[in-house]
Amino acid sequence: MRNFAFSSAENVDQAVSSERGNAGEASYIAGGTTLIDLVKLDVMRPVQVIDLNRLPLREVERLDDGRLRIGALVSNTDLAHHPLVTQHYPLLSQALLAGASTQLRNMASTGGNVMQRTRCPYFRDVAAACNKRAPGSGCDALEGVNRMHALLGTSEHCIATHPSDMCVAMTALGATLTLEGPNGTREIAFGDFHRLPMDRPDLEHELEPDELITHVTLDTPVVGGGSHYLKLRDRASYEFALASAAAMVAVEDGVIREARLALGGVATKPWRAVEAEQALAGKPARTESFEKAAEIALSDAVPREHNAFKVPLARQAIVRALEKASAASKHH
Amino acid sequence: MDTQVIGHRTPRVDGEFKLTGRADYTVDWQAQNMLYGYPVPASIAHGTLEKLHLDTARAMPGVVDIFHHGHFPKLYRSPNSPTHQDQVSEVRLPFEDERIHYDGQYIALVVAESFEQARAAAHAVHADYRRESGAIASLLDTDREGRLLASEGASRGDPEKAFDEAPVKIDHTYHIAAESHMQMEVHATLAEWRDERLIVHESSQGVVYQHKAMARIFGLPDESVEVVSHYIGSGFGNKLFMWPHAVATAGAAQMLGRPVKTILSRQQDMESGGNRPASRQRLRLAADPDGRLVSMRHDSTTETSFVHRYVDSLGSATPSLYACDNVAISQRLLEVHHGTPCPMRAPGETSGIHALETALDELAVELEMDPLELRRRNYADQDPASELPWSSKHLDDCYTSAAKRFGWERRDPAPGAMRDGDEIIGWGMATASWPALRMPCAARVELRDDGSVMAACGTQDIGTGTYTIVAQTVAELSGVPLKDIEVRLGESTLPAGPLSGGSMVTATALPAVAAALRNAFDALKEVATGEGGAFEGSDPESLEIEGGALKDDQGKRVSFGEMLTQQKLGSVNGEGQAAPGDEKGQYSFRSFGAHFVEVRWDPGISRLRVARVVSSIDIGRAINPSAARNQVEGSIVMGIGMALTEKLDYDPRDARLINNNYADYIVPCHADMPEIGVELLDNPDYAFNEFGARGVGEIGLTGIAAAIGNAVYHATGKRIRDLPITLEKVMDT
Amino acid sequence: MNMKEYSRQGDEAGSAETAVTLSVNGEMHQLRISPNVVLLDALRDRLGLTGTKKGCDHGQCGACTVHLDGQAINSCLKLAVMCEGHEVTTVEGLANDAGLHPVQQAFLEHDAYQCGFCTPGQMMSATALLEDERIGTDDAAVREAMSGNICRCGAYKNILAAIQTARGQGQAAPTAGKTS
Repeated sequence: MRNFAFSSAENVDQAVSSERGNAGEASYIAGGTTLIDLVKLDVMRPVQVIDLNRLPLREVERLDDGRLRIGALVSNTDLAHHPLVTQHYPLLSQALLAGASTQLRNMASTGGNVMQRTRCPYFRDVAAACNKRAPGSGCDALEGVNRMHALLGTSEHCIATHPSDMCVAMTALGATLTLEGPNGTREIAFGDFHRLPMDRPDLEHELEPDELITHVTLDTPVVGGGSHYLKLRDRASYEFALASAAAMVAVEDGVIREARLALGGVATKPWRAVEAEQALAGKPARTESFEKAAEIALSDAVPREHNAFKVPLARQAIVRALEKASAASKHH
Repeated sequence: MDTQVIGHRTPRVDGEFKLTGRADYTVDWQAQNMLYGYPVPASIAHGTLEKLHLDTARAMPGVVDIFHHGHFPKLYRSPNSPTHQDQVSEVRLPFEDERIHYDGQYIALVVAESFEQARAAAHAVHADYRRESGAIASLLDTDREGRLLASEGASRGDPEKAFDEAPVKIDHTYHIAAESHMQMEVHATLAEWRDERLIVHESSQGVVYQHKAMARIFGLPDESVEVVSHYIGSGFGNKLFMWPHAVATAGAAQMLGRPVKTILSRQQDMESGGNRPASRQRLRLAADPDGRLVSMRHDSTTETSFVHRYVDSLGSATPSLYACDNVAISQRLLEVHHGTPCPMRAPGETSGIHALETALDELAVELEMDPLELRRRNYADQDPASELPWSSKHLDDCYTSAAKRFGWERRDPAPGAMRDGDEIIGWGMATASWPALRMPCAARVELRDDGSVMAACGTQDIGTGTYTIVAQTVAELSGVPLKDIEVRLGESTLPAGPLSGGSMVTATALPAVAAALRNAFDALKEVATGEGGAFEGSDPESLEIEGGALKDDQGKRVSFGEMLTQQKLGSVNGEGQAAPGDEKGQYSFRSFGAHFVEVRWDPGISRLRVARVVSSIDIGRAINPSAARNQVEGSIVMGIGMALTEKLDYDPRDARLINNNYADYIVPCHADMPEIGVELLDNPDYAFNEFGARGVGEIGLTGIAAAIGNAVYHATGKRIRDLPITLEKVMDT
Repeated sequence: MNMKEYSRQGDEAGSAETAVTLSVNGEMHQLRISPNVVLLDALRDRLGLTGTKKGCDHGQCGACTVHLDGQAINSCLKLAVMCEGHEVTTVEGLANDAGLHPVQQAFLEHDAYQCGFCTPGQMMSATALLEDERIGTDDAAVREAMSGNICRCGAYKNILAAIQTARGQGQAAPTAGKTS
């Protein structure tokens, strides 16, 4: 892979100021599991790499308002096994452990997982047309081998799937990202962070070039909610999802009080199925309600030549995840 | 044969090297003053290279040279002769011309001082191409039929007439996607010239073949080339014959006068380092109402590239597996624009038996007959193809034993009838088979004055356990403990041994090692009975070998080491040769087995998993039962991949490989492993060789995908005739 | 067996190199490397510790697994310059003067390998998981935790048996003798 200048940031201020002036040519590195992979393919070409690992962003703490604040450098493994996560956000723990492998989870950071890039093979091949990698070059996936590609949130310019499992759980749970930049700190709702590809698939998120994710703060847990993360894939482990569903359901007297639903493997960003959630509220916690929600969640799906099966597959993931979540709800 | 070492489970004698990181695989070697090569692959599959832009790359740090068409030594294509053992995987030489025949074909080789520099510079090489339309991505994407190969056809009786007149018949076509070997150690070469002599470290399943091919290509006498491959991060067939990267590396080393090491990237390995070709097979089977086969026709098409002719013989097992008077096989070959296919574990028959065993399951459904019973009714007591008796066949015992251990008698034949919670259970079975091959072989043994023994043979251990079975053979015949036996393999300068392919090493090499050892014993007896020897004046014939010592009928016993030390000799040597003899015309040699498989299908989430595999395999005597069973267990895991997930995806528009990595080409991971129960029958086949052993590296892969597919049918009622059986082919939509 | 007879060479060529001190298997090594050198290549090409293998170079196979401060990681995705101040353990650090590590011994006894190329990575994952109380001890948990180490030879069954034996529970070590 091409060479680059390397430096370590000692604190957040230094991290954000050292990147200033090199916008677009500098990359942060935390776990490195995305960056190094893509630099080796010549897909990412940083001139400068800034190591974040000395920053004090490894804490997981419960805030006074009941929310959970996660430092951006907390590893996927540590987050998945953290007592506050396994106790209050088992959905997140399940999703994290469904992703990647032990080794990758040990390396990958929370902030880095949010910034994870697509597995689209045309994005990863510098000889292929890809609007995300080379804006304006076209999209070879549209008419190409697109079995793994997205159904939801696509455009005529990009159908690349967002690969993260963690982000699917976070978008279902509700979270806020804390961003630090030269002009100070700002917060953004997790659901607003990732952008749809539209006509600029290269613009993947709302982070400015000189900004850094410092924390992810999860909303307070839904009282009495049962949850389940279901990931469907070709083999039993160590593979990206064909379709996944993060479901959380609070059931009282057999009726759904509140539901959360997000999808992975089928969308261009971590996909919260808000209309399906609304349709579930007040309905009986039964398979028919879940099937209806699944229909709604996939109603805007745009299948391609090889991924049409993911429409029914995602529906199945939703129904089964909702069934399991409902069964786990404390008040059913 | 009552044995002390052979036939007993034996921890690998090379185990400690592998477990401590000291085993020297090709990629681990470094030479003084060594450079790193990194190939530049073409990014089109069909066209011409018009211009290479090298200036940027040449100016990058550490870059020493960039080789390409017009800047490379003039070499000679190998004759590619199996008889003369100079076969290669691709006869086209690297950088021969500017034609591009497949995606990933090398258009240049960057050589630099470090690996990072070579790779970075390779990424900075840009090429202009003249693309041509009409690239054929795969046999699966085209209606082209390919050329009929007269050499691959065979027939007996009148299968067409018998088919037309039969009451029960099936006629189906099966497709199998191209597969990648995905051996853990990618192809790698370290080439070094010392004076006019070429020394090559290569991850190779055939050091003798590669050394001869290199000699032809570089116009050198055989003795001027040496190929070394002590440890191989497996091969599964794609390292049998040399690929162009090795020639490119040796040529670069020659021009630069420095050693060059090239390790392919995984992507390059998958694009240009071999694959199991995709296939199309039409099976027409007919039976009488009692299930006796009256006609079998097996017509196949496989792929090759435009630069090499590789024929995967799909129908070769079909005439021998079942008793049937009317049989015909044919094969076609279709050229496609992707990397050259090559043998992959149980080549040909893995694909062919898959189609045949699936078709038999379909016939059993037509007959409303248990699929195991159908196979029993067509049991071939002799080889119907050669009409020779089998040297040893115990397939009936395999059926009985595996069925019993599996619980086959509890099978409800109705598809979908067996359930467990959300899951539907499917049970299927298939026959496994692979020919027993044996070639001529030479070996050398040294008995040393320190009491140790060294045995050497120019074959390889690709992970099957060759080091260990050679040591076991020496230990068995000499009584010397395993710890005092050194085995040398993987060097072309050793007495010529076989390719690590065709499951032939055990039956080929062990008799040669035994012959060499006996000759060494004779030499030792001569020393012992000669002047000043411990048994001076005795008849050499009267001496026996026991426990690493010579013994006479008076009970006198002198160890090998003592004897040699006494005579001031460092060692005595024995060279030995062994080859198949008259038995070849008297018997047919083939191994058989049976797989029984349970799959679990959860229709609510379209999840298909293999839950249980029970196999009984008859390979004659297993020299090392633990390593032998490991081979079958590993084959089962590989067969799960073939059945359910493995497929090289070539973009139909331009024939470029899409899933060129370990994340997108899906092989089974640990969590995919089912419950596995493998039994090896112990029926020594002494008609085949003195140790009674046939090979075991490949048979386990045959039939396993069919057994899985048949189980999927039993679970779902859906017959998926195209591999892999991915979930979208099975799910209810 | 023959051992590697070629000498190891340090690579001093190239530009923009930085000095890095790596602690590997308890030994300190000073290197000058460029920032784009990953730990895997530093171990193999610079330090001659070739027991750690490259199977995919992209974190997709697990052959390059080493410990960084006791945790299993893919050394192919870790920049060597980022490892300063951390303890790296490779397969060469498993055995000691007393002999093989219990995991190595169990791999030997259970024939938990074939070609041996993925084996160092398998054992590094195995030793890490046996020390990690967050990972379950039942077969299913072990198999899931070990799924980041591909074995194309398919020796998973024996790998599982070896790990559980090394743990001191599950299957007993097989005894020598004739089996069918």
